[in-house]
Amino acid sequence: MFKIFIIEDDRGLVALLQDYLHKFGYETQAVEQFEQVRQQFEAFAPHLVLLDVNLPKYDGYYWCRQIRGISTCPILFLSARDGKMDQVMALENGADDYITKPFDYEIAMAKIKSQLRRAYGTYAGSNNERSLSVGGMTLDVERLSLTRGETKIDLSHTEAKILDELMKKSGILVTRDRLLEKIWDDQAFVDENTLNVYVTRVRKKLAALGITDGLQTVRGQGYRLYPNWEDEE
Amino acid sequence: MRLFLREQLPLLAVYIAQLLIVTLVYRLDGGSSVNVSLYAAVLSTCLLIAYLAARYLSNRSFYERMESTPSSLEDSGGPSQSSPLADSLRRLLAHQFRLYKNDLHSYRHKLEEHVHFINQWVHGMKTPLSVIHLIIQDKDGPPFTAIGDELDRLKKGLDTVLYSARLDTFEHDFYVERLELTKLVRSVTSEQKRLFIRNRVFPVIEMESAISVASDEKWLSFVLTQLITNAVRYTVETGKNIVFRGYLQEGNLPVLEIRDEGVGIPQGDLPRVFDPYFTGVNGRSFQESTGMGLYLVKQICGKLGHEVTISSEVGVGTTVRICFRDTGQLTIV
Repeated sequence: MFKIFIIEDDRGLVALLQDYLHKFGYETQAVEQFEQVRQQFEAFAPHLVLLDVNLPKYDGYYWCRQIRGISTCPILFLSARDGKMDQVMALENGADDYITKPFDYEIAMAKIKSQLRRAYGTYAGSNNERSLSVGGMTLDVERLSLTRGETKIDLSHTEAKILDELMKKSGILVTRDRLLEKIWDDQAFVDENTLNVYVTRVRKKLAALGITDGLQTVRGQGYRLYPNWEDEE
Repeated sequence: MRLFLREQLPLLAVYIAQLLIVTLVYRLDGGSSVNVSLYAAVLSTCLLIAYLAARYLSNRSFYERMESTPSSLEDSGGPSQSSPLADSLRRLLAHQFRLYKNDLHSYRHKLEEHVHFINQWVHGMKTPLSVIHLIIQDKDGPPFTAIGDELDRLKKGLDTVLYSARLDTFEHDFYVERLELTKLVRSVTSEQKRLFIRNRVFPVIEMESAISVASDEKWLSFVLTQLITNAVRYTVETGKNIVFRGYLQEGNLPVLEIRDEGVGIPQGDLPRVFDPYFTGVNGRSFQESTGMGLYLVKQICGKLGHEVTISSEVGVGTTVRICFRDTGQLTIV
């Protein structure tokens, strides 16, 4: 299990980060006394450090240099400063990457994962392989496949994203806005009509697994994945 | 020289009067002939001329100094010659300059402190913002969407404060590099995806070819964000597009055009849209217009060496063009 050390003075942010990281199976520890960051670091011996820039006593750059003196573990800065020079400063002080506040969980998670992968090889030892199961249907987000019983079908990236969101909230309404936001891609924007097309495709894939009315439309609002297919059999 | 002569004019007048009186007195006394008087007059005039010449020479730089206007603060010092007048003028100017500099320094210091404070404060505000952002991130539904919207507005407001405070210290804070226009536009539009989705207005990117420009990524992104926010805000109908078109003008100058299909700006308002605090007709009918957005856009583009122009037709839409200079003229760091 990977250990992540959080050096950040905002308790709210620390609590949220810890919760989220625990969900992905990481062990975390946050700094309590900002005078003794080094000692706490040594005692915990983490695999990765999340480090804020503005801290009581000394700033993040200082602690970054201190940690670099004793360890080569990945250090990720977490800062509100978005200037190019701030990022350069961070990297020059020994950081590996930089996340600007406010950030998304997904971005933070992706950067943490990529640093861990680079430093310690594959995902070994953590349950990062994400798969979701609802009513006997399993979605493998990494491999883009959907399985039910013996049948397995491939999905496109966008279809997987839509199903991911719907399955996470199975039984609950997912708004169109939220789906649009989730599948918005840097490469191609998705407008309303495209979303309709994608939803139709998802319906077809579900039908191929024998699920006919699992995906319900809530008029003018969004969609709901209702796991009612088990009773059908 | 002119100043010197003008200043000595009373002396010359007194001298001539004196000469006349003295000659008159001698004539009335009946003692002397015209020749003697003339001789005396020539002699004493020579003396006067010699005095004036000596006086002018010794104070020449003082007079020159008085006649010239300083072009910058640094050459407002005193004359270099050492004569009593020149010396005292130099002392006076030096003293004044010092007082002035002290004053200026204390104001500059105050301003710097203020900018520093604003910087700290804005960054301080971003942490609670991130906390709220993280709390609502996995939530869906009307109240959370509304909080998300307000959060975006707060973030945008903070950025505007930050960037306008930084504008004065621009020189310390920019970094010019080659940027790929398509990539930049995509990253900015994708950052504003919530804004687009919420308003049901979608971006369309049309790039003629792979265009790269020399600019500062952060400042240019801020400019684009401002323009996008305006474009979306003034597009009232849903299902419209905002078109980002990149092309090369004559002479290979890259141009980025941002065209919306919104309400447009009345002709009367157009010349003033780049003025600070100018909100115009649209600003009054649409909420939360500070009149700062386009002003900042103009200022930042000016500093980056880009030219920004705007054209608009009411009911049809607005087009903002950013013309990038020939890259040779910008030093690339």
